[in-house]
Amino acid sequence: MNSILKSKEISIAMIVALLSILLTFLSPVFLTADNLLDVIKGNAVLGILAIGMTMVIITGGIDVSVAAVTSAVCVILGKIMVAMPDSPISIVLLFLIGPLLGIALGAINGVLVAKIQIPAIVVTLGMMSIINGLVLYITNGQYLNSSSFPSVFLKFSSFEVFGVSIVILMFIAVALFTWYLLKYTLIGREVMAIGGNKDSAVRVGINFDKVQIFVFSYMGFLAGIAAIAQTAYTKAVDPNGMLGLELMVIAAVVLGGANIMGGRGTIMGTILGVLLLGIVQNGLILARIDTFWQKVFTGIIILLAVSYDHIQYKRSQEKLSKIEVEA
Amino acid sequence: MNGYLLQMTNVSKTFPGVKALDDVKLEIRKGEVHALIGENGAGKSTLIKILAGIYKPDPGAKFSFEGKEAEIQKPIDATLKGISIIYQDLSLFPNLSVAENIYIGRDSNKKPWKKVSWAAMEEKAKKALKELGVEIDVHTPVEKLSIAQQQLIEIARALAFDSKLIVMDEPTSSLSAGEVEKLYKVINDLKNRGISIIFVSHKLKELFTVSDRFTILRDGKYVGTYDTEELSEDKLIQLMVGRQVLYEKNKEKIKTGKTLLEVKGLSKEGNFKDISFELKEGEVLGITGLVGSGRTELAQAIFGVNRPYDGELKINGETVVIKSSEDAVKKGVAYVPESRKTQGLVLRQSIINNISLPVLKQLRNKFKLVDRKKEVQLAKHYVETLDVRPALPERAAGDLSGGNQQKVVIGKWLSTKPKILIIDEPTNGIDIGAKSEIHKLMRKLASEGMGIIVISSELPEVLAVSDRILIMRHGRIAGEIGIGEATQENIMNYALLGPKAEGLYQEEAPA
Ligand SMILES: Nc1ncnc2c1ncn2[C@@H]1O[C@H](COP(=O)(O)OP(=O)(O)OP(=O)(O)O)[C@@H](O)[C@H]1O
Ligand SMILES: [Mg+2]
Repeated sequence: MNSILKSKEISIAMIVALLSILLTFLSPVFLTADNLLDVIKGNAVLGILAIGMTMVIITGGIDVSVAAVTSAVCVILGKIMVAMPDSPISIVLLFLIGPLLGIALGAINGVLVAKIQIPAIVVTLGMMSIINGLVLYITNGQYLNSSSFPSVFLKFSSFEVFGVSIVILMFIAVALFTWYLLKYTLIGREVMAIGGNKDSAVRVGINFDKVQIFVFSYMGFLAGIAAIAQTAYTKAVDPNGMLGLELMVIAAVVLGGANIMGGRGTIMGTILGVLLLGIVQNGLILARIDTFWQKVFTGIIILLAVSYDHIQYKRSQEKLSKIEVEA
Repeated sequence: MNGYLLQMTNVSKTFPGVKALDDVKLEIRKGEVHALIGENGAGKSTLIKILAGIYKPDPGAKFSFEGKEAEIQKPIDATLKGISIIYQDLSLFPNLSVAENIYIGRDSNKKPWKKVSWAAMEEKAKKALKELGVEIDVHTPVEKLSIAQQQLIEIARALAFDSKLIVMDEPTSSLSAGEVEKLYKVINDLKNRGISIIFVSHKLKELFTVSDRFTILRDGKYVGTYDTEELSEDKLIQLMVGRQVLYEKNKEKIKTGKTLLEVKGLSKEGNFKDISFELKEGEVLGITGLVGSGRTELAQAIFGVNRPYDGELKINGETVVIKSSEDAVKKGVAYVPESRKTQGLVLRQSIINNISLPVLKQLRNKFKLVDRKKEVQLAKHYVETLDVRPALPERAAGDLSGGNQQKVVIGKWLSTKPKILIIDEPTNGIDIGAKSEIHKLMRKLASEGMGIIVISSELPEVLAVSDRILIMRHGRIAGEIGIGEATQENIMNYALLGPKAEGLYQEEAPA
């Protein structure tokens, strides 16, 4: 527990490193600070969502409505921003409204899962469909671009510290905060416990419903943050821009070593999973390979990584059942 | 205070369709070991879950703890009073470290953002383990520990909570003899420190060793509470079952037929080595030995789920390769696993669906759909033969008591009408009345021509059902004894000392 990198994370890190070395040989552009920062910036929204998803998956749940919730918050924030004054207070308001909206939607998911005991996949599928429909109805599928945003937001969007974009900073902040939450707070440990064994959790007095509602609300909260990051990154609101992103989010978490059945998953692993997906994508672009191959490659990587993981797990289980046989 | 740590009176509990407890009483003195005993489904686990705050009793129940009236609504209420429960199936978190597992639950009533101090947690855990005299690294994830170690972690948890009362529900059912000895020592230590213990078990011998008093339940009703000195094994059984049960060495003369199964030189690295034996029609072959001697691994290999291995299997004289459990069933081999929870049952499904599972194909009607009537009939048949209680085949398997679940697992495999039946620890967690029923059933199946392999650590059981006994030790066959010469002593000698035990044991007058 003390070592920051556990063996599984080390193996993902190795794959990331190998891939990076390979790409450095293939394209001189790859290993430049600019390109690497671009990769991270381009995947920060994915990263923020994946961190929330890690929590959900650790409890054994799943949330396929994340991309839809993020889109919804984007659209609402876009509409509000048009009417906002050009002062820093607007940014503060965005950071209040966005996450609150997200929490509200996430909490609905959580309550339905915990209290009415509908499986998470069903609840969040329903939520996704409803939101996607409403978003299209409200926007007619139309783009909202930067010309209608207050200029303070555009300034915020291009804010950098030592060349590191605000979008990346938001990702880092979310990662640190969630890591702390998971490792050092009671609720974080309860999340881990529930994923490990639900019956045991109830027996030692953990409030199962409460933790589930928390996890989905937290996912919503991060979707709210991700919506701000997304709007800052694209400087526009595209109601269709995130269709299907939930699959990438789940993929990143699984690649990062989380167990889809619950109980296993780390923030560090998920970050590595996000990086891996980002680097593959970047590499394929640098190598000028058609974009549709990206999906194919991503899929193959996921299957390979998860199979490898599963085989390792089975091996370790087999070792446990060894008996000393007399020669 | 009236000398009682805990008093529970007027406890009833109604589940839809069953009255699991009916006006039960339980009184525990300070610093005593109190046995809670009764047949499968008598209500022991239910009573404990009420004490733990997991189930709510029917209105009217009264609790007092340390002389004061007490309310237990939620698990945390019990925890805060100093009541710790070690459940039949343990309540650990395989993904969390030993330290966390020991500490968890202590803060369940605190604010969710309360900071967790890993240092304090590890400190507490180390202290509790030290008190127990166990050496386990507190950073290890619990999934890496053996069952016995896991049980110790549960006890350490109880100690770390400064428990005044520790409940152990069938703590020894998955421990080896040595580990059981250790557990007794721990229990004695706890008792000397003034901690009270409620001990649930079906093993009468061990209850007499550890307990000061007994409370007996029968069919959800309170039978009585007795000092250990007032009781003998016979009397206890009579109180429990309401009739006399005898458990005798098998003396039946058998007519064996042709050889059903031949095992030749079976070896698997790290599991077992050079195993050869035969099983004939009409014969019950007992395989015993200490837990961890490779018996289960061998059985699973024969059943095709522990592969690959070296050596040869012959069924009805023909060499066969069994690649999977389906394959095994097709060739007439059935295997009843020892762990009913993880290997045997779909807990959420009804008893009917569980029993018919392996034979659904045979139950199809002319439209190739499963014939529900036949399915129900089949299930009813086994519910009756095995005396599953309550005899309600529609009930979810998960709602049955532990022992009754085991009976359903057996029914499930019998439904495949196997020629060769391998049963692993057939009566683990089964009460003494039902045990002898299951033994009779095995004898009867054998007399109808089945070949049965019974794997068991309980020597009286092995002696009661077998015609021939193989003893395994460290993955090898240490010896073979015919039922005529077998005694508990000579079996133990082989199990502990191996082949060199030959001639060491003293011959006893046949029982
Ligand atoms: N959740 C439940 N729903 C319905 N019935 C239940 C439930 N739990 C237990 N029962 C019933 O209550 C009765 C008592 O069961 P309990 O588990 O307390 O028995 P037990 O004495 O612990 O038996 P064993 O020795 O087999 O573990 C049984 O008839 C059982 O079927
Ligand atoms: Mg029980």
